[in-house]
Amino acid sequence: MRGRPAWLWILLVIAGVGLVPVVMTDAFFLRLFTEALMWIGLAITWDIMAGYIGYLNFGHGVFFGVGAYTTALFIVKAGVPFGPAVALGGVAAGLTALVIGWPTLRLRGAYFAIGTWALNRAVGQLALVLDITGGADGMRLPPFLRPQFFSWVMLGVVGATFLVLWLLLEQAPFGLKLKAIREDESGSLAIGLNPAWLKLQAFVLSAVPAGIIGGVYAYWITFIDPSSTLGDLITDQATVMAVFGGLGTLIGPVIGAILFFAFKTYFWAYLSDYQVLYLIILGLAIAATVLFLPDGFWGTITKRQEGRRALHKGLALKETTET
Amino acid sequence: MPEPVLKVEGVTVTFGGLVAVDSVSFQVAAGEIVGLIGPNGAGKTTLFNAVSGYYKPTRGRISFLGRDVTGRQPYALAAGGIGRTFQIVKPFAGLSVLENIVVASYLRHPRQAAARRKAWEVLKFIGLGDRADLPAAGLTLAGRKRLEIGKALALEPKLILLDEVVAGLNPTEADQTVRLILKIRDAGMTILIVEHIMRVIMKISTRIIVLNYGRMIAQGKPDEVARDRQVVEAYLGESADATDGSTS
Repeated sequence: MRGRPAWLWILLVIAGVGLVPVVMTDAFFLRLFTEALMWIGLAITWDIMAGYIGYLNFGHGVFFGVGAYTTALFIVKAGVPFGPAVALGGVAAGLTALVIGWPTLRLRGAYFAIGTWALNRAVGQLALVLDITGGADGMRLPPFLRPQFFSWVMLGVVGATFLVLWLLLEQAPFGLKLKAIREDESGSLAIGLNPAWLKLQAFVLSAVPAGIIGGVYAYWITFIDPSSTLGDLITDQATVMAVFGGLGTLIGPVIGAILFFAFKTYFWAYLSDYQVLYLIILGLAIAATVLFLPDGFWGTITKRQEGRRALHKGLALKETTET
Repeated sequence: MPEPVLKVEGVTVTFGGLVAVDSVSFQVAAGEIVGLIGPNGAGKTTLFNAVSGYYKPTRGRISFLGRDVTGRQPYALAAGGIGRTFQIVKPFAGLSVLENIVVASYLRHPRQAAARRKAWEVLKFIGLGDRADLPAAGLTLAGRKRLEIGKALALEPKLILLDEVVAGLNPTEADQTVRLILKIRDAGMTILIVEHIMRVIMKISTRIIVLNYGRMIAQGKPDEVARDRQVVEAYLGESADATDGSTS
């Protein structure tokens, strides 16, 4: 049952989704399509730390932002072509994860959540004050107005990310090791696991694709500024999507991202006069999900309890440090 | 004389001002089952945690197979060949029984297929083969304790530390677990076991070490230890005669 058929299915679905921009060429639709893919990518990568290990990353958006700015800087200041520039965005995001993960992931509990939140704030401020990033004015990239092209690039990046995560988290030993840390971090030491090292690997794994997605976003939208790429909203929305969809699974955050993105789009289309309401709804949605649907949409219908276990650990509802 | 599997020399563990284990020394030879007993709070679990790397000894030296391993991390000791169970059982509750063993098997079998084969072997050995796909949280206490042993066995250890794997079980379950422990010894592993149930520890141990208030007060064959005056006092309190005798 496992193995070849499953990954063939994943490739088929990705290829099937790739046909959509061929049929639907309306610019507005393609924009929504590409953005939905982008949120799927951010939600599944956020879930690596939160769902599989139970470590809440309150600054996931920083990788998106670092990727976006790095790509923009290499394109604008150094004339590097789009492909390598995006790859460099992923590398920069990975290095950022190493720098913040190294000190915070050797500790348990809230240090990681606080550290990632602070990092996002700090990098946002940095982009705001530096000359090279254009401060509050942001950066303009040379326009490359091919909506179809970007929808395929985004699909390629997100599809490849999904496939890699599926192989690593659902097929390879790595995923089960991460879940063991989520279930009992001190117990995991006794079976030969080094949680600090595994968490750092997982953190970099979650950061690199987010950085690449940020890089693609920058070239696609052609304009970035601190609030659009390093604001709280990136992290907050990815969080709501993943939690709502179902933590600790790969499908859950995908479903959560699609449903929540659809809601967001309708909201902005019809209720844009009530913008402040959106943030309130976002906050209520996450609180209600944690309280009433801890396993998320997917977890609830498949009766998997990974979501609540991840939240229990992430929110330190369960003391797991006694020996 | 062959190198002992485990050599504990003058190990002291303090928490702030509290001396939990006070310069304890002993050795465990290959193939032995050494029982570690003592009243509640005697420092048995603390000593276990020091030997398995969870606590760093304040003083003293721990050698495993002739190598100094004092202060090594638990995962490094697991890789070196020390497996342990926990008094408060720690199954990975959200994972299935099989997955619990598989994740421990990765240490010696990094590939998925080999780890699963090893895990099935261990599951059959501990008698949980029919419950492989059950969530670990759904097992009875006896089942969870055997799963703990299984996780330690999957590491293919040379020395296995069993922390109260019998306590809390009914007589039938206890007998099953005792048989399992003897099977583990017969498979060539050396065992250090903490246990409260005297009937069990006296029956299976080749040697017994008695701790009281963090100090080792006796060691020897089970029947010797059972007759030791200090041991009897530690468990039952000083006898009226002894008190009289010392004051007169």
